[in-house]
Amino acid sequence: MKRIANRTYLFFLLAAISLVLLILSSSDRLAPVEGGLARLAQPFLTVSNEIGRQISNVIGTARELTGLRSTNKQLLTQVDTLTIDNLRLKEVEAENARLRELLRFAQINPLSDYRGGQVIARVISRGPTNYLSSLTIDLGSQHGIKAGMPVVTERGLVGRIYKVGPTSSIVLPLTDPSSGVPAMVKRSSSRAVGMVNGKAGTPPVMEFIAQDADVSLGDEIITSGLGGNFPKGITIGQVLKVNKRDFDMYQEAVIRPTVNFNQLEFVLVITNFQPGEIESVG
Amino acid sequence: MVEPSRRGANIYLSLLILAVTVIVQGTLLARTRFFGSSPNLLLVVVVCWSLLHTVSEGLLWAFVGGLGVDLIAGLPLGTTPLALMPTCFLAGLGRSSIFTNSVLLPALLVALATLIFGWINLIVLSARGVPVDWAGSTLRVMLPELALNVLLALVIYPFLRWLAAHIGAVRMEL
Repeated sequence: MKRIANRTYLFFLLAAISLVLLILSSSDRLAPVEGGLARLAQPFLTVSNEIGRQISNVIGTARELTGLRSTNKQLLTQVDTLTIDNLRLKEVEAENARLRELLRFAQINPLSDYRGGQVIARVISRGPTNYLSSLTIDLGSQHGIKAGMPVVTERGLVGRIYKVGPTSSIVLPLTDPSSGVPAMVKRSSSRAVGMVNGKAGTPPVMEFIAQDADVSLGDEIITSGLGGNFPKGITIGQVLKVNKRDFDMYQEAVIRPTVNFNQLEFVLVITNFQPGEIESVG
Repeated sequence: MVEPSRRGANIYLSLLILAVTVIVQGTLLARTRFFGSSPNLLLVVVVCWSLLHTVSEGLLWAFVGGLGVDLIAGLPLGTTPLALMPTCFLAGLGRSSIFTNSVLLPALLVALATLIFGWINLIVLSARGVPVDWAGSTLRVMLPELALNVLLALVIYPFLRWLAAHIGAVRMEL
């Protein structure tokens, strides 16, 4: 009986401490402590993340091997007739890929001064909870990183910085339910605007698209620059599905992000973009 | 009664287990995604330890480990401990069961604890003004996590039972 009373007392004591910490932390009063602790944990996270990456690579290679074996079997039956064509196509494909990368980079960086402001960061951990998708990168305030700065890869938008420590920062990806990115359809005949919001366990959805706007499957979605939180023109993803019902005020589109969030290793932080006012996310 | 030197060693061992759990959770397991979710090693460890040792110790593990997870995830400190600590009481109920030695009991408790942990997390998120999709989160996040946690519990529980037996006598709580 006494033990039950003791553990109940302990529970309320720890819960009270947690609540106080929650209030102090939410108002950023614990930022120096959190920064110091994050710095302490960073080497362990980096090493552990590297191990995780290697394990993922091994598993990925094993999976690829299974697929490659069957592909190889099929190709062997056609190899005699397709060898010459294949070589030519490979050359064209490689050239095409190089040109596409250059074109994508130019699209992502329409203004040359972004390039000077980008810094490459390594992803050192991922959000350990299923209720907040976050990424930790190995750049912090010492490297000029500030809350709200957009984070991208060569494939498109990742999210934005929302917590900064001295040597590491936490990125809120666009797939998180608390994330909202003002977006628009890239197609010149449409330019429909909306808000890409993350969803729990499913791809993000572009909401608040006007009912009469023209949105189609496969449309490329880019940042609109509205609200001032992100630069205009960064690729977000592609429309997978359009939900349009007559009785709804708005239509919405399910988006497949161009960035593969499961395989992020390096990201770019745009440091010379001045974001607008940052709304609280946590 | 555990002798003081052994108690000291147990504290260091507990901190080591928690540190490894939090780091593995934040790096290795965060990469392991099945049906959009990853297993929650800390929750599994806390529930199993509360069942094997004492609820009070489980509460301390939930508090310290939860703070570690908050630190890595960038959540306001205190969010995860608040969601995790009530699950220790659930394990406390299971301690009086005759099925404590079976791995099915921890699996069942972990399943229930996952739901409780998830819903408390959603309540905290909702209180912080984050839009919460209750049904969607339950179906698409909690249920896959529940399945993964149960599988993880089947692996972790025997190891923790062995550890608990080696670092001190398991005490019954009524």
